[in-house]
Amino acid sequence: MGHIQSLGKRIELVSMDKVCGDISIALYEAADDNGSATFLIHTYSHLDGASVRIAFIVRAMQVLGGMDPVPGVAAGVRFSCGATHALGCRRIFLEACKLASDTDLAEKPLTIFDKKSERTVTVTSRGAGDYGVSADGEEDGRDRRVGAITKGLIKLAQTEAIADDAVRFSCGQTHNAMVGLLLPRALNVRAVMREQEDQAGRGVLAAPSAQT
Amino acid sequence: MMTETTTPVAPMTSRERVLAALRREPVDRTPVCNPTSVATVELMDLVEANFPTANRDPELMARLAATSYTELGFDSVMPVFSIIQESAALGCKMQWEQKDNWPTVRMNEPIWHGPEDIVVPNDFIKRPDTECVLEAIKILRRELGPDVAIIGKTMGPWSLAYHCFGVEPFLLMSLDDPGRTKAVLDRLKEATVQFGLAQIDAGVDALTLPDHATGDLVSGEYYERYLKDLHIEMVERIPIPLILHICGRTVDRMGFIAETGMAAFHYDSKNEPEEAMEAVHGGIALVGNINNPETLFSKGPEEVHAEVVRNLEAGVQLIGPECAIPLQTAIENLLEIPKTVREWHAANRTVN
Repeated sequence: MGHIQSLGKRIELVSMDKVCGDISIALYEAADDNGSATFLIHTYSHLDGASVRIAFIVRAMQVLGGMDPVPGVAAGVRFSCGATHALGCRRIFLEACKLASDTDLAEKPLTIFDKKSERTVTVTSRGAGDYGVSADGEEDGRDRRVGAITKGLIKLAQTEAIADDAVRFSCGQTHNAMVGLLLPRALNVRAVMREQEDQAGRGVLAAPSAQT
Repeated sequence: MMTETTTPVAPMTSRERVLAALRREPVDRTPVCNPTSVATVELMDLVEANFPTANRDPELMARLAATSYTELGFDSVMPVFSIIQESAALGCKMQWEQKDNWPTVRMNEPIWHGPEDIVVPNDFIKRPDTECVLEAIKILRRELGPDVAIIGKTMGPWSLAYHCFGVEPFLLMSLDDPGRTKAVLDRLKEATVQFGLAQIDAGVDALTLPDHATGDLVSGEYYERYLKDLHIEMVERIPIPLILHICGRTVDRMGFIAETGMAAFHYDSKNEPEEAMEAVHGGIALVGNINNPETLFSKGPEEVHAEVVRNLEAGVQLIGPECAIPLQTAIENLLEIPKTVREWHAANRTVN
């Protein structure tokens, strides 16, 4: 049996990892000696395969989210800019946990076809952490759709709005991989929020009179 | 602040501390006590004791319950994580759920419709889901020794009636036919007493008695009419400290509850610590109040710290979460409860 470890502040939890025997996997936030944000992926499970699963998630966060390894911390990741981007990191973690451990990992493109509007949506890095969102096709409804996707990126990656079609990372650095990973979710951010709400309601014991 | 500077109390074991606080006697420091569950999915992983099996297998139930003391530093352990053991044993339809959710009774499929239907079977405490609890208690006493408070749980008749009759049918019965309602409670209380006495034989030091006359559906007047005398009878028939648990805003009935002879009332964060202490006017100990969904589940150690301190400042006798904690609760938030209690006492050097 193990013991509880002091790992920092837990900022996300996958309570049952369907890929690996329903183990619980958590994302912890801490700071290194320089005060830069670091993240740790951890499970208390001793199940066979748990450590391999953690190693995959770490690798997935590096490839899909553009995160760096933390020297000396096998299950640690960080952003190269040193900023926290906690919300973005949580999304990267959750996306990584959805993947089977034998998934081929590759950075996602900054372009995607949006079925809802039947347009190709492109996010363009303008440097200094700024990203513009655009879509092809007819003008009718385009700006509204671009605006909605931009808001999606704001909610998912905790970016700042600098225009109806542009966002900025507060660190002033580019995060192409993270933006590419989150772009498909930004197309339907309501579904993401619903999923979060469903998860938040699980595991809370209600009095019999409050049970549905 | 209810604390006073008096002759220091000699160091106590966790068990001595909890039992003294339940008697409202001086303690060396305020005990950290969980009358309901502190199980989490991460603790399940740590000791390889996952829900739902940990609700049905005594070895796993004991192993998970022990973490409250061995890992979190609480003064008590409480192996009855859920509120369904007796109802399962009585034959209710169950939904056992998965690791990250609570087992529940399918109350929309009631097993009884009137008092004449109620049968507490002769082998009630020998059925798998009740016997599991008894075996887990024996294991905990054997493994943890005499220094830890073991708290059991026996569901009150009002809660059992919800499970066996369905919430709406039972509440309608209570409106339409008080006589039948009292007959239902009268028959179901035998399950409460039987299971409570069996847990005493197995080794518990105190029992939580949840009886969900909750503030949202049941008034204080209802409590007095239907439950106060029943709870007095429970105290008379179950000879160890009883901790009554009722969720929700309950200040309107705390005065009645304080007159039952129960040792403690496990109270919800919908009640302010100060008003609760005033409402029970020293007639019963209080425990609980640390908010589950907003604080323990969604916030961080700083907010937990603040709520613990507020309860300590109000003179609440035992510190703990308001109810069974959410299964996804972060461990660092749970660790903050005993840490804050120890720090507060070190800073204040007072005796409760």
